[in-house]
Amino acid sequence: MREILSHRPGRVFVLVLFLAVVGLFAMTPFFHNPITLWGWVSLPFASGIVFLAVWLIAYLIYFFKYWPFR
Amino acid sequence: MGTVLALAAFGICILLLAVYGYKVSAKTAEDYMLAGRGIGIAVMFFFALFAISSVWTFYAYPSILYRHGPGFVYFIWGCVAGFVMLYMFIGPRLWAVCRMNRFLSPVEALAARYKSPGLRLVASIVLLGSIIPYIADQSLGVGLGLEAILGFPPVAGIVYISLLLVVIVLLGGMRITAWVNVVLGLLYTVAFLGSLIYVVARVFPNGLSEAVSVLRSQAPALLTTPGPAAIFRPAATSIVFVVGMLAFSWPHVIIGTMTAQDKTIFKWMPGLALVVAGMLFYTIPFLWGAVVAPAISHMPGSLVPPVSGKEADGIVQMIITSYLPPWFSTFVLMGVIAAAISTAAVQLMTASIVVARDIIHGLFWPRSGDRFLIRTTKFSVIGILAASMGIAYWYPVELAQYLVGIAIPGFAQWAPCLVGGILWKRATREGALVGLVAGTIYLIVGFVHRPVLLGLHPAIPTLLVNVCLFLITSLLTDPPDERVIRVFFDEVEDFLSKKA
Repeated sequence: MREILSHRPGRVFVLVLFLAVVGLFAMTPFFHNPITLWGWVSLPFASGIVFLAVWLIAYLIYFFKYWPFR
Repeated sequence: MGTVLALAAFGICILLLAVYGYKVSAKTAEDYMLAGRGIGIAVMFFFALFAISSVWTFYAYPSILYRHGPGFVYFIWGCVAGFVMLYMFIGPRLWAVCRMNRFLSPVEALAARYKSPGLRLVASIVLLGSIIPYIADQSLGVGLGLEAILGFPPVAGIVYISLLLVVIVLLGGMRITAWVNVVLGLLYTVAFLGSLIYVVARVFPNGLSEAVSVLRSQAPALLTTPGPAAIFRPAATSIVFVVGMLAFSWPHVIIGTMTAQDKTIFKWMPGLALVVAGMLFYTIPFLWGAVVAPAISHMPGSLVPPVSGKEADGIVQMIITSYLPPWFSTFVLMGVIAAAISTAAVQLMTASIVVARDIIHGLFWPRSGDRFLIRTTKFSVIGILAASMGIAYWYPVELAQYLVGIAIPGFAQWAPCLVGGILWKRATREGALVGLVAGTIYLIVGFVHRPVLLGLHPAIPTLLVNVCLFLITSLLTDPPDERVIRVFFDEVEDFLSKKA
């Protein structure tokens, strides 16, 4: 964590992770709608998958290109 | 009779695996406790995944979704995020400092960081008080599974699983525990996924959309938040995520990072966790609990009508027993036993290491050698298992609460001093002790007198108090000496900066 916050790409990486969490929280008021995607995927589940996808993309870029201990 | 014979044969296979582990393992404390710090990426991933995924995932998590709708899935998103954060942010440094200084337990590392035997004792007690009920959760789950299939009282399953655990941990130590996790974890996945596909194919031939249609017409509140009991309002759902995120502080998960072979493991683990665990594996219990089980219970002419409270703990097994052939029920029960063993063995190892290394060896007999350490660890296994059996037999609350309501708030109390000790140079012994003790006392008072928790999950207010006191006290007291900074920060960064 110290090494991640000590350079600009690391700070951007942590910011992206944080914003993804904020986005996940921001979705919760919409879960009272009985919307399902493809007939069976409920919104809380779909939101989580998108959240994980954002973390995955950020991780792949940062850890394989910028992480100081790579 | 066939089920009993199958379970006996399954138990014998596991025992043979433990005996093999005993033969191939070196007889040093480092090998017994941390698998010689030689676990590679493939074993490490499944070791960690199935240390987290337990009977709780098989029975308790679907039970909450079944009763309260999909809002609780946020706990799992939080767990995955917490697990990933452990391997991204804390794991590399903890692994490096423990490897360089031959620390055998994370509590030992903290005691050295803060130069405090008192902190070592308090942290050990807090962790043991939290992890033992979680071990009980595993054996109770097997007891309930046996009850659902064979009508045996839960104590039969509790004794069966405890006997297997004793042999695995006593003979094999951490190395065979890791290997057992891989083998049994795969069995667990096949049983869990197989049962889901089999039930859907048999009951909902048009697929999961048909199950959702049943729910939409019969119990629409189960498709949305806040759910039938109005628990998962937006704020509560977000808090559930934060509680899940505390997975980075679970000691049996943290100790896994100390067994890593090299630092490249920390580069690959987050990706595997996000894809294989988050996107794939945890979809199985979600579909079971949020879609398939409630749809079956609420459809007209159901063989398993709706259940509530503790009864819902066995809903997955009840559906499997009612809708699938007996041989498949037995196979799934083996999957449940595999899930229980894969988690409980790591928990048992972790708790025993804390007792032996941090309490007995660390505080009373610091000069004793490897043989004494291994022997005391093995004696600790028996004591801890006996305590967990007692709690499992007691069965005071539903399965889910053993983890969410008891273990997590306890684990959370050492999170500030752990994270601060590894990442913050200014963290001091006084800050760590004040935060840990105050948070723990608040938690105990909250268990006895609920109103002091202000209607929040026990982990939240207690952790806030803990963190605030930790930060303020650390800033008001003298900083750690230069040697601590050199060992825990400078040398660690030099070590991690070298080629793998």
